[in-house]
Amino acid sequence: MFEDDETLQMYIEESLDHLGDIESDLLTIEEGGENIDLDLVNNVFRAAHSVKGGAGFMGLTTIKDLAHHLENVLGLIRNSELTPDSNRISVLLKGFDELENLLNNIETSNDIDISSHVEALENITKSSLPEEQKEMVSEQVDIVLRDGRIFKQVSLYEVETYKNEGKNLFLVEYDMINDIHRKSKNPLEVLNNLQKTGTIVETRIDFTSVGTLEDAGAPNRIPFQVLFASIIEQDMTETLFDISSQYIHMITDEMIMPASESTDEDQPALEPAQETVQAPVQEAPVAEAVVEAPAAAPVQQASPTPAPQVVTEKVQKTTAPAAKTQDKDLNLGAKPQTSLRVNVGLLDTLMNLAGELVLSRNQLLQGINSSNSKATELSSQRIDMITSELQEAIMRTRMQPIANILNKFTRVVRDLSQQLGKSIELEIEGKDVELDKTILESINDPLTHLVRNSVDHGIETPMEREQMGKNGTGKITLKAFHDAGQVNIVISDDGRGLNPGKIASSAIDKGLISDARVAEMSDKQKMELIFLPGFSTAKEVTDVSGRGVGMDVVVTNIETLGGIIELDSTPGQGTDIQIKLPLTLAIIPSQITSVGNERYALPQVNLNELLRIPAGQVKDKIEKVGDAAVVRLRGELLPLLNLADMLGIERTYTDPADNTEKVDRRKNIADRRSKTHLTAEEAAEQTEEKEMVERGEDRRYHATSAMNIAVVSAGAFKYGLVVDQLHDSEEIVVKPVGRHLKKCTAYAGATIMGDGKVALILDISNLAQMAELSTVAEAGQTAKAAEEEAAANADKVALLTFKNGEVEHFAAPLSIVERIERIQTSDIEQIGDRKVVQYRGGSLPLYELSQVAEVEALPEKEQQEVIVFKVKDKELGLMVTPPVDALEVVLEIDTSTLKQPAVSGSMIINDHTTLLVDIFELVKILNPEWFKEEAQAAASMAEDGEKILLFAEDSAFFRNQVKSFMEEDGFKVIEAEDGLIAWELLKERVDEIDLVVTDLEMPNMDGFELTQRIKNDPQYSHLSVIALTSLASEAHIEKGRSVGIDEYEIKLDREKLMSIIRKYVHL
Amino acid sequence: MNDTNVETTSSDLEFSTFYVGGALCGINILNIQEINKHFEITKVPQASDYIKGILNLRGRIVTIIDLGKKLGLDPVTEDKDNRNIIVNSEDEHIGLLVDAISDVVLTQQENIEPAPSNIGGVKGKFFQGVLKTEDQLIGILDIDEVLKE
Repeated sequence: MFEDDETLQMYIEESLDHLGDIESDLLTIEEGGENIDLDLVNNVFRAAHSVKGGAGFMGLTTIKDLAHHLENVLGLIRNSELTPDSNRISVLLKGFDELENLLNNIETSNDIDISSHVEALENITKSSLPEEQKEMVSEQVDIVLRDGRIFKQVSLYEVETYKNEGKNLFLVEYDMINDIHRKSKNPLEVLNNLQKTGTIVETRIDFTSVGTLEDAGAPNRIPFQVLFASIIEQDMTETLFDISSQYIHMITDEMIMPASESTDEDQPALEPAQETVQAPVQEAPVAEAVVEAPAAAPVQQASPTPAPQVVTEKVQKTTAPAAKTQDKDLNLGAKPQTSLRVNVGLLDTLMNLAGELVLSRNQLLQGINSSNSKATELSSQRIDMITSELQEAIMRTRMQPIANILNKFTRVVRDLSQQLGKSIELEIEGKDVELDKTILESINDPLTHLVRNSVDHGIETPMEREQMGKNGTGKITLKAFHDAGQVNIVISDDGRGLNPGKIASSAIDKGLISDARVAEMSDKQKMELIFLPGFSTAKEVTDVSGRGVGMDVVVTNIETLGGIIELDSTPGQGTDIQIKLPLTLAIIPSQITSVGNERYALPQVNLNELLRIPAGQVKDKIEKVGDAAVVRLRGELLPLLNLADMLGIERTYTDPADNTEKVDRRKNIADRRSKTHLTAEEAAEQTEEKEMVERGEDRRYHATSAMNIAVVSAGAFKYGLVVDQLHDSEEIVVKPVGRHLKKCTAYAGATIMGDGKVALILDISNLAQMAELSTVAEAGQTAKAAEEEAAANADKVALLTFKNGEVEHFAAPLSIVERIERIQTSDIEQIGDRKVVQYRGGSLPLYELSQVAEVEALPEKEQQEVIVFKVKDKELGLMVTPPVDALEVVLEIDTSTLKQPAVSGSMIINDHTTLLVDIFELVKILNPEWFKEEAQAAASMAEDGEKILLFAEDSAFFRNQVKSFMEEDGFKVIEAEDGLIAWELLKERVDEIDLVVTDLEMPNMDGFELTQRIKNDPQYSHLSVIALTSLASEAHIEKGRSVGIDEYEIKLDREKLMSIIRKYVHL
Repeated sequence: MNDTNVETTSSDLEFSTFYVGGALCGINILNIQEINKHFEITKVPQASDYIKGILNLRGRIVTIIDLGKKLGLDPVTEDKDNRNIIVNSEDEHIGLLVDAISDVVLTQQENIEPAPSNIGGVKGKFFQGVLKTEDQLIGILDIDEVLKE
């Protein structure tokens, strides 16, 4: 075959283009079901058809075959003879996938076995046809021309279809030489033109008629045959095809013969009846030729019985194409996707800019030659501007919408969810966000992996979902958006989320991490374990997500692109994975830093913030954990790496006197070398510093030098990089470094700075690895995690501390304090044994602790601090001695040693033994009549039968405290030490329990989960749940509401708690 | 080393010679891209000790190798005669920092003798051969061997 690479390339590109939108079209067709959208179907049909048309002409038999079968099915859908159900669409989708695959591997396409696709497609076609036509689908016929030549192997079904549509069939023989090349046409153009007036059934090139060079009468004609179906009549054809009527054969029924059986050699072209053609074809044989020709086997077999199907199918498979075809194919070697479509407008812009650049260069040269500094300056400004614009324009040529890869996930999710029996809806946002082509291509695999993960591991089966009270259809959202010069892609699902415990235990089982380390980790850290190499959370490797690549590969891929990945998951609610990518790889914004006298570029994508610790604070802020330095940043411990130490930079400087490099003995770059250029102030400073050095202190961590820290993050790690100086942020061009430096993994490349010198670009994640930061970070994070863990598990309570006598310290829960007042002692009125003060138009009863507890009496003062409490809707004042202070503490109460009336126990606060005042008890002792109602209620409850409360609380203090409130009011209490125990108890004794009261923060199972379980189980969902919390934030309350908590109460507010409990048990 | 120049006959070879660590060495002139004296070198911490650093050569990043150190001789001492010989190796420009440049020597292939196992303290494997002139011995460097990591 002769057609050039260019034509082939064009064909491939065009075909892939056609196929581009098919997937979404097919999926839309599937959604539509019975209501067939003709436009869409036509669209897909035409695509298949164009691919087929070109393939025949190119000798790509396999592609042609496949496209042909696809077309048949689509034709049926178009004529509403077939309903596009999901099975059929699946077959079509797979068929088109294979077609795309064939097009992408064009040189081997003829050797690929597509029989399974063909069979599946044929079955669909057959199923819709009446019995007698079924055979036709796979049947082949030959067309015997009047001159005896045979156009072999045409699908009978297709011929019949066109005939039934009332179309005429023509065999048009173009000549590649005279009709196409000499007329400066392109075969594909010719085909495209034909498409406008009819349908191309087949295209072939007849090589046998060309002969070889040795043959006498060198050929002057290469026939290019098109089998064409159209409604036009024969008399119009000459004009239409623009060739002599001699080469236009109208196909009549009698010319159609059953296919010859002797078609082992799959000649794609017209086969002459005679084996050798000595005369060029245009010397058209006379009509008798048909009779005279020593007809070859096929013609003789003019029997009406169709050839057995088996044989014909074998022909279609074409596992061994003719040698000739194969040779040709090997030469093709064309790879698609090497070209890029660029907007012409953009090209024009580039051209303009190039022109501008040349002009400015000329001006610059002139300016330089004439030493005209003003002209030079002006033109350099222009060049600066043009360069920026040029950079931007060229960047834009590489930008592609992310839709190109996001769109295909509709299909991925559809196929996978079908396979897994899940129901999933995919939502894609931000399709028009653009990304550099290279990044786009490389992000495909990681994204696919993440989406597959979401479908496979994230979303539950519809049954599981409904059990959990979720919508049976899961939802996965893919969202792309620009943020801070980066492209963000978020993949979120509303599935089961990650289970930190399971992940951790799996990591331990696989020997990736030790028990001890896991024990110290926070939930988020445990989740991040999935990024460890060798981790895969699936119990068995499925072909869905577990293809031997894990999340670690995803992370590595994304980091190679200069991106970062973040994970956020709530068990039971879903998982969010966020990927941040740079817009392009060639030019990256960077922070320039320096150590010694070298500059280092730090990619902005890794940079979180810059931190300067003023000299005075260095000592306070920098701490040591083991050997590692850490800095406390907004409550987080951040490990520090010193770049100079990391790289082993020996500090040197160039001595201005003899221009040689000398080892710098300074400990810090800010130090001065000699006093010659110093101002008086600096000199003084230096003297001071010198003393310091003489004292042998390492000033790097000493209080007199400020510290510059770039806070960077690489994957899961975040750390502070200590540098000598922070400079500007610049856009740098990344240049590769030579092979000798490849093993220096600390650098991602090099760049050329404005002054022409080279600066190295730091590889933040490799630096972290080099420093074995994992351990450093863990040291820091472990400490932090331990703190957090302790804080999370223990209940923090806000207390108001005060004194009574000069030395006795007391505290009361802040939650029941109304306000604090200062009154004049002279305003206190004594009525009987009671003290009151006029307060807001009423009388406020005043008490002091010594009235009920064995404590010192209050000292006499002119002014008196009064803490106003509200109990039973009545305000009362407790007279105390300042200082009155509020603080949050973890309650560790000793309830025995110092227990006495109105004092529930003691604990150490700020080095003082502090007594915890039980205000409620205090009031009860002083005003028993206030509590008559409760006493009655308790009594009546005892009569009516007891109300039983299930109470879950991990802190023994609170458990006892609250339990005693409840029991005093006549309730019976079943205690549980955590959520899990409560759950077990509930299961056993569900019939007795009237109400559940639970703490929120508990080990093993927290209050949220307990509530969720209760509310999601029809057996228990009738129970109300009251949550007790020490610190109720809005977020907490919101979260509680969402899982079904009925009421929130503050832990030590006895009165409110009891009234709510009463409300819920209907007393 | 069959590269030939139009001006010379097929067996003529031209070597650019230079001093490094006291030894006189030569490189086939066809391997040399240019010789310059740019010393705005950026150090690369953590790289092998024979790597002097990297240099901006008209927009290209070029690794500069201290040839003295690489050959196991004394490192090149800073001097006004220092030069970078930029050679092309495996599609990459690499600079060899030498003490000083000497003459270009024209000779024939047959004058080149096999290298002994050791030339002035340098391993024989770095040399393609030696060339004896009237008054001195020139070690002809095998660039590929020298530039092996």
